[in-house]
Amino acid sequence: MPLIKNNQIAENIWTYIPDDEPPTTESHIVLDLERFLSERQQQDISNRALAVRLAPADDPERLRPYLDELDLIEVDFPKYADGRGFSHAQLLRRRYGYRGELRAVGEVLRDQILYMHRSGFDTFSTTRADLSDVMAALDEFSLSYQKAADTRETVFGIRLKR
Amino acid sequence: MTSVRPKLKPETPKAVTAWDTQTGQTVWMTPDGSWSLSAKDLGIFVGDAAEAKLSAARGQENKVTDPYFMEVTENGTICGRETLRENIRSNGPTVAYGKAGQTL
Amino acid sequence: MYRYDEFDATLVNERVSQFRGQVARRLAGSLLEDEFKPLRLQNGVYLQMHAYMLRVAIPYGQLGSTQLRRLAEISEKYDRGYGHFTTRQNIQFNWVELKDIPDILQDLAEVEMHAIQTSGNCIRNVTSDHFAGATADELMDPRPWCEIIRQWSTFHPEFAFLPRKFKIAVTAAEHDRAAIRVHDIGLHLKKRGETIGFEGHVGGGQGRTPVIATKVSEFVPESEILDYLEAVMRVYNRFGRRDNKYKARIKILVSETGAEEFSRLVEAEYAAQSPHEKIALPVTEIERITAYFSGPDLPARPSRSKAFDDARAADPGFDQWASVNLQPHKHAGYTSLTVSLKPIGGLAGDATTEQMMVIADLAETFGHDDIRVSHAQNIVLPHIALDDLHAIYQQLDQAGLATANESLITDMIVCPGLDYCNLANARSIPVGQDIQKVFADPAYQRDIGKLHINISGCINACGHHHVGHIGILGVDRKGQEFYQISLGGRADEKAAIGEIAGKALSQEEIPAAIKQIIETYRSHRLTKDERFIDTLERIGHTPFKEAIYAAD
Repeated sequence: MPLIKNNQIAENIWTYIPDDEPPTTESHIVLDLERFLSERQQQDISNRALAVRLAPADDPERLRPYLDELDLIEVDFPKYADGRGFSHAQLLRRRYGYRGELRAVGEVLRDQILYMHRSGFDTFSTTRADLSDVMAALDEFSLSYQKAADTRETVFGIRLKR
Repeated sequence: MTSVRPKLKPETPKAVTAWDTQTGQTVWMTPDGSWSLSAKDLGIFVGDAAEAKLSAARGQENKVTDPYFMEVTENGTICGRETLRENIRSNGPTVAYGKAGQTL
Repeated sequence: MYRYDEFDATLVNERVSQFRGQVARRLAGSLLEDEFKPLRLQNGVYLQMHAYMLRVAIPYGQLGSTQLRRLAEISEKYDRGYGHFTTRQNIQFNWVELKDIPDILQDLAEVEMHAIQTSGNCIRNVTSDHFAGATADELMDPRPWCEIIRQWSTFHPEFAFLPRKFKIAVTAAEHDRAAIRVHDIGLHLKKRGETIGFEGHVGGGQGRTPVIATKVSEFVPESEILDYLEAVMRVYNRFGRRDNKYKARIKILVSETGAEEFSRLVEAEYAAQSPHEKIALPVTEIERITAYFSGPDLPARPSRSKAFDDARAADPGFDQWASVNLQPHKHAGYTSLTVSLKPIGGLAGDATTEQMMVIADLAETFGHDDIRVSHAQNIVLPHIALDDLHAIYQQLDQAGLATANESLITDMIVCPGLDYCNLANARSIPVGQDIQKVFADPAYQRDIGKLHINISGCINACGHHHVGHIGILGVDRKGQEFYQISLGGRADEKAAIGEIAGKALSQEEIPAAIKQIIETYRSHRLTKDERFIDTLERIGHTPFKEAIYAAD
């Protein structure tokens, strides 16, 4: 599963540990939200770099006290039609001020990537798109009407400056 | 949504129908596995052979979209619960349309 | 009307390129149908019974003559010589081919049109009052805000994969012609002192579980409305049900959460918006967009037109049409006219290539280029001088467009039904035609007066049967078509869901059943002026039910 970051293939140093499994030798582990919250200070967890994978039904606000210590938050899209992850991303970036890596995982379609990027995702890990797909997708629209998590000026803003 | 059709028993005679991907026209699989624009040319399949035909159709996404089973008699006449719907798919709208549908 | 600036045009053109690429990948096999489907839906492309269907957006029902001509050209070049106008003020082409659709979208983009978000689980076309900007009875013109909401919702990155479709309607008149109370969000423009704002209704809808919207806000100032809509959308995106397609609309979230708790969730989300999240639409932008709708400059005319009065006296057909198909205009000497697309025994809501050209020409010559599509599937020319009406009528009549039946019994809302639609259980077009034939006599129709019959071929209710004074729903009983009659629905400011009258009837039994209903009304009304819906509300449903099923 290629990881795409900043228009390049990136090395993935993180390992997702399913809930019912203990970590072994991994230095960088991704845990589900509940497990992170309950185990983050336990021996054999707290000595590793920790990241969280948010499920669609999770409340991202529960991560708010820990955003400074997280280098990575993954947002899962188990089905591409389930768009809750877009709201997770917008909240994490714009309301809670998360600055780390925000990664879309799961059933991420090439044609969702622009909206994901605009909603705050900066990396993508999916079997449904490759690097050239991602780069092409990000280039498809040069303008946006709405404010979102990306820094792109809105059409309303550009009009105001004229 | 397009192809949530009632499930048919394995032994029920079936045709495989779909839509031409490029044009959207309704098509029916012929006995030799190709596709025809006319329901008169449809092939009649049962059991595992039918499943194999449907599977094959699903693998031809460039050619056809959304294939599914349609119930037919042993002679290939449309029958069963979906008769009206499939007859309309075969014969077109029951009301004249465009200029022909005007009442000037 | 609004005209695209270079940014609107760029976005529409980029969308065409994007979709062209997606179609190419689909036809080449590198994009599976399963992945292609949500993309094509967000470009208005359905796969229906006989062909692909393209639903072109007509934002808040507004068209110019150039645009209507382009739709006519498309109907001839790529389709079978006609188009169908819908209950969301859009147009549908029933016979397009996928390989042609990128070119069709290109042709549309050239005249500032598109098919963006006319399907899919995203925010759809914002609909409004077809008499906006012309009618005497509106507080103000709702179209500028419709255009602003359209831009805000177009390609919104957070709300493209909602639990289900999302429909917004806006009105600015006390008499609601936009059916806002059966929309996911219904907005009613109001004023408090000098401040413009919106009364907000959420969670209305039809379909399997029809419900009238809940009023969630008395007044949201216009400076806050987009942020308020963001709050509603985010609550819906996060908490709307995704486990069951038939329970996924916002109306279910509102009813299952409870109106009070739902409002609290919206208020909480709204209150949590930090300053930098606020959309803060510049006042200059509101003014810029509003300015597009300030015209046309109508020369002052006397309130009485001799030409009009004389023509009425001389031409009985014109006189009847003028007594039925005109809406009072805010300016003396003018009117808004309805071009009925419901000829007796014809195809409800359809216009041929030639008919579209005729309407476009009339709008250009007489109507300041202004054309509207009504959610009742008719066309409106909103700014017409009384002096010009007879000439217009004669041309409409020649083209089969002068049926004098606006809001009368033969002016039915009819969905395409099983003749076209993959989702349908029964046909609706021929049912409507058969009913029309029973009531074909213009004098009989005028005697009956205003009455809305709405027909849907399945529970999805695209024909708005739940809110018809008489609703007809096609159902499937073991492969046979049956029709359920409901009574007492209303789409206006007194919105109500109709009540089923009794067991479903066959197609053959329907026209006589409707006749029974009408004769019951006529025999019970207090005066000829008491409308069907008022008689029904006064005497209740029992006399009507008894009349329908008397033979049993």
